[in-house]
Amino acid sequence: MSDSTTPTGDGPANQNPPDGTTVGEGPTPTSSVDDTLVGKEKKRRTRRWGIPAVLAAVVVVVAVVVTVVVVNNNTAPQAAAVDTDATLTVGLVLEPTSLDIRTQSGAALEQALIGNVYEGLVARSVDGSGDALPALATAWKVSDDSLSYTFTIASGVTFSNGTAVTAKTAAESIQSVIDNQYLGSEYLGSVASVEATSDTELVITLTTPYPDLLWALGGRAGLVLDTSATNDLKTTAIGTGPFLLDSWKQGDSLTLTRNDGYWGEKAKVAKVVLRYITDTNAAANALKAGDIDALAPIDATLAKTVDTAAFSLTKGLASDKFVLAFNNAKSPLSDIRVRQAIRYAIDHAAIVTARGDADALLGGPIPEGDPGYEDLTGLYPHDVAKAKSLLAEAGYADGLTLTLTVPSFYGDVLPNLLTSQLAEVGITLKTDSVEFATWLQDVYTNKDFELSLVDHAESHDFGSWANPDYYFGFDNAEVQSLFAQSQVAKTEEESAKLLAQAAKIVSQEAAADWLINFRTVTAVRNGVNGFPVNEINSRLDLGSVSVDKAAS
Amino acid sequence: MALYVLRRLGLFAVGLFITSIIVFVVLRVLPGDVAQVIGGIKATPEQVADIRVRYGLDQPLIVQYFDWFGGLLHGDLGRSLITNSPIQNELAEKLAVTLPLCVLGIVVAVVIGIPLGVYAALRHDTRFGQLVGYIAQAAAAVPVLWTGLLLILLVGKGVGLVSILPSQGFPLDGWAEPGKAIAALILPALTIGIVEGAALLRFTRSAVLDAMGQDYIRTAMSRGLTHTQAVLQHGVPNASLSVLSVIGLQIASLIGGTVVIETLFALPGLGSKLVTDVGNRDLISVQGTIVVLTALVLFIGLAIDIAHRVIDPRQRRVTS
Amino acid sequence: MTSQRALAVSYRPERSRARRTLVPAWLSRTWRRPHGAFGLVVVSIVLLAAAVSLFWTPFPLLQANTDQGWLPPSPQHLLGTDQIGRDTFSWLLAGSRTTVLVAAAATALAAVIGILLGTVSASLAPRLAEPIVVLVDIVVAFPVLLIAMLLATTFGGSILVVWVAVGIGAGVNLARIVRSEITRINASDYILASRAAGTGSFSRLLQHVLPNVAPLLAVQLSVTAGVAILAESGLTFLGYGASTTEASWGRVLADAQKYISVAPASVIWPGIVIGLTVLAINLLGDAIGEALDPRLQSGGKTDGD
Repeated sequence: MSDSTTPTGDGPANQNPPDGTTVGEGPTPTSSVDDTLVGKEKKRRTRRWGIPAVLAAVVVVVAVVVTVVVVNNNTAPQAAAVDTDATLTVGLVLEPTSLDIRTQSGAALEQALIGNVYEGLVARSVDGSGDALPALATAWKVSDDSLSYTFTIASGVTFSNGTAVTAKTAAESIQSVIDNQYLGSEYLGSVASVEATSDTELVITLTTPYPDLLWALGGRAGLVLDTSATNDLKTTAIGTGPFLLDSWKQGDSLTLTRNDGYWGEKAKVAKVVLRYITDTNAAANALKAGDIDALAPIDATLAKTVDTAAFSLTKGLASDKFVLAFNNAKSPLSDIRVRQAIRYAIDHAAIVTARGDADALLGGPIPEGDPGYEDLTGLYPHDVAKAKSLLAEAGYADGLTLTLTVPSFYGDVLPNLLTSQLAEVGITLKTDSVEFATWLQDVYTNKDFELSLVDHAESHDFGSWANPDYYFGFDNAEVQSLFAQSQVAKTEEESAKLLAQAAKIVSQEAAADWLINFRTVTAVRNGVNGFPVNEINSRLDLGSVSVDKAAS
Repeated sequence: MALYVLRRLGLFAVGLFITSIIVFVVLRVLPGDVAQVIGGIKATPEQVADIRVRYGLDQPLIVQYFDWFGGLLHGDLGRSLITNSPIQNELAEKLAVTLPLCVLGIVVAVVIGIPLGVYAALRHDTRFGQLVGYIAQAAAAVPVLWTGLLLILLVGKGVGLVSILPSQGFPLDGWAEPGKAIAALILPALTIGIVEGAALLRFTRSAVLDAMGQDYIRTAMSRGLTHTQAVLQHGVPNASLSVLSVIGLQIASLIGGTVVIETLFALPGLGSKLVTDVGNRDLISVQGTIVVLTALVLFIGLAIDIAHRVIDPRQRRVTS
Repeated sequence: MTSQRALAVSYRPERSRARRTLVPAWLSRTWRRPHGAFGLVVVSIVLLAAAVSLFWTPFPLLQANTDQGWLPPSPQHLLGTDQIGRDTFSWLLAGSRTTVLVAAAATALAAVIGILLGTVSASLAPRLAEPIVVLVDIVVAFPVLLIAMLLATTFGGSILVVWVAVGIGAGVNLARIVRSEITRINASDYILASRAAGTGSFSRLLQHVLPNVAPLLAVQLSVTAGVAILAESGLTFLGYGASTTEASWGRVLADAQKYISVAPASVIWPGIVIGLTVLAINLLGDAIGEALDPRLQSGGKTDGD
């Protein structure tokens, strides 16, 4: 397994997995991908199979089992022609709640649809550089005062419902985000106007410079949707991307088919099935059994059980920050000594080990790849003695009991480990594992908590630390002023410098503890090429993934 | 008799009505709401309020209840708040996994439980007969989760000692590929079958043991039948009614109770759907699912009671 | 998954109608039965383990060492370690506390609900009893899981949730059984006789009816205790049961489940411990039931269950 920062999804150059693992022979996992998806034109007959059929089928089970076993033992001949009729089945963990890209939050939805079904003016690069890549806008220029952005819109683009995409449709789409307060509008506060100056030219004017604009437009804010379409966004999608949304089976899978009318380079597989498997074990087993071609991500501990002769494993960057949030506004965590004691008490290296040795250490609020990142891991080294003395100073020499409110889907490893580590310095940690909806109400909205643990997956989200009303309750005038300046800086470099300064203060003030920066481990079976590596939790560009003919 | 059936049907309707109220009220007590879940951890309070209006969640509760209940009377369970698809369709889709799973599980349970139960009763004074009884008790004493895990460790693909059966998941096209669908249900159905079969075995055993002590067995034997023949010809049919009731109850409780199995085996069934919907606070979906489940269970109970009265004349006398 | 099991075992052969009072010797009669002895021994061991774990476990529960995750069993770690290097044996030992607590509390709650609703609905005039019966029927139709899910969603997952959910679920089931048993006993000759003799209805209940329900209660309550332990493991697996800081057998099992492909053997131990305990409780319940049952008192045959 190797760290890879190869850009993905932006061209046909990647024919091999980025870590270069190639394997000639050996059993391919199975051909059940074909079996699973045979008969794509066949109507679903789910409800016609009555109980009698079920019972009858029990009798032939043995035969089926034998068949499955035989099929599994097929070995793959060596050949590497791309199979353009292939179906790619990808195992993912988190399923979008609904498909409404305008109101439904969550990275899972962006992961599935942005870049695949929907396209924006620009796309985000996933190589850690933070650059914007051309998408529907093939080029752009920024005025000297950084207040005006002029985009050249690709011509000959149509939505999947046939409507043509012009600078006007694009402008209307972005304007509708602002007008309706859709998700993403929070980044467009400084936009004065969005105008189409010709069929191919779109101009965005700002009231103040905003260095993050291109990044924001690479997200939901810049997506170009057909504002005249009346389809139900919760279950359908009309976009311009290399894939069409075929079907969504809630709790199970989302199917995309190739958009043969795509304006750019066509997708290399005919069909993509995104299978949502919440149970990490089930997901790993599905991979090993050949039910899925790739698993993104695979649990790092379970990844060690994968046969590396048949699968390649890559480790990718992710903006996910596992934040142990402190309620800075409420005693006892309003006392900086208590917060510092907790930071000293935590052994971050042990956390990385417990999670399977994949994640990176993170010392502050900005992760690698985001503007303003610097290595702050040295600020609070693991130091039990110091933690104890700080607690004693704060008046908790006899111990302190704190409650950790954590959404249940993060599992038990982190709470278990934190309980153990904090116990060493005399803090009794009680864990309150709640549903996400409860967490949203109690912690996020009502700020009724002491400690909380959440994966803040978004990149460029430093603003939460400059917002005293956010659930962190962190109120620091200097941070707020630095952040405000960074948001109106003329260049990205200048902005990044200000953010770095602010981030350092946030970390020094022990506003929270950043347990780890998630690293996604992706397992891809041999014969599947060009699978994305980085930022797969929020972007999964599948347009350039190909499947070798013989292996599928 | 007709009066009795009518009366029971009336109680059934009243029961459902009360259930609908209880479910509706209890769900409204849950902390958190769907608008927040949709908005997530980036949404501003204004955005959440916007979503609430857009999804019709700003209406008074009483209006929401009668909207929903009115639909129920027409057989319309409403639409999911999140996906906006009719709940009937979603239920049908999930039942296509859960019902076959339950039926297969019960088939396994019956195949294991009844013959062995009769055998254990007939041979209750032999070591082997007692052993069967003890094994059944042990099988009923372990967590169903554990039974499933052991089966996966034995024969599940990917982890098992013998990698032959799909350990988790359900084929994408569902029953369009019956072979694969059945294969995916084997381990979960076996798990259910072993646990329920053990319970059924013990019940059958004691029912037959009970029948063995009755006078008609002695009468039959005095007419020249062997003990075993007498039990099989007269005792077992007499025990069968109560055994059938137990099977009915087992099916009823399985329909809503397979969630552990479905979670362990990653099956997209009704139980998993319920858990997801509660998590998302898709309350319309949750209350629809619960009402349907409760109706099924109450209906099976009703059917058993009526069957008892039709078949067993003694009952008619006692309670009338 | 639980209620039908309770029902399946609820069936008992017809009992003699002759009234006997409880004799203090019932315990020794229980002990004389092999399955009773087995049950007593195992249950005592679990109680002892629970008591010991209050003062001592081989390793401090919270002692974690992430470099020693999933160690195999060794003289030092008798049953190996978990993902973050905590001693599995220590956690199972401490888990017995939770088990004892959950089983006892759920059984007590079920007994209160069951006996109260059962006797009241059996004693009241049919017209007054009907609402209770309907209500009980509705609650019976609710899977225990659903009750637990709603409770856990409102108050957060904990063993309290298991306690209340199983207590209610098993309680209403018990209410039905108690009601039908009392109805049957009420129709029997000696009760009719005692009614004719002018015994008051309340003292009739205490003196004649309840003692006759006792054997059935013993079996049913032992089943409830077993169901509570099993439900704890299931609910904890689903995230509605024991929280991460509550040592419980279900938690050890659920934690191990997530890594079966890494450490397959780790799921074995909690399952065995749970299975043995539940089996012992059920056998003990059966044995006590038989010991209390007048018909089986002199030289009664012990059967497989």
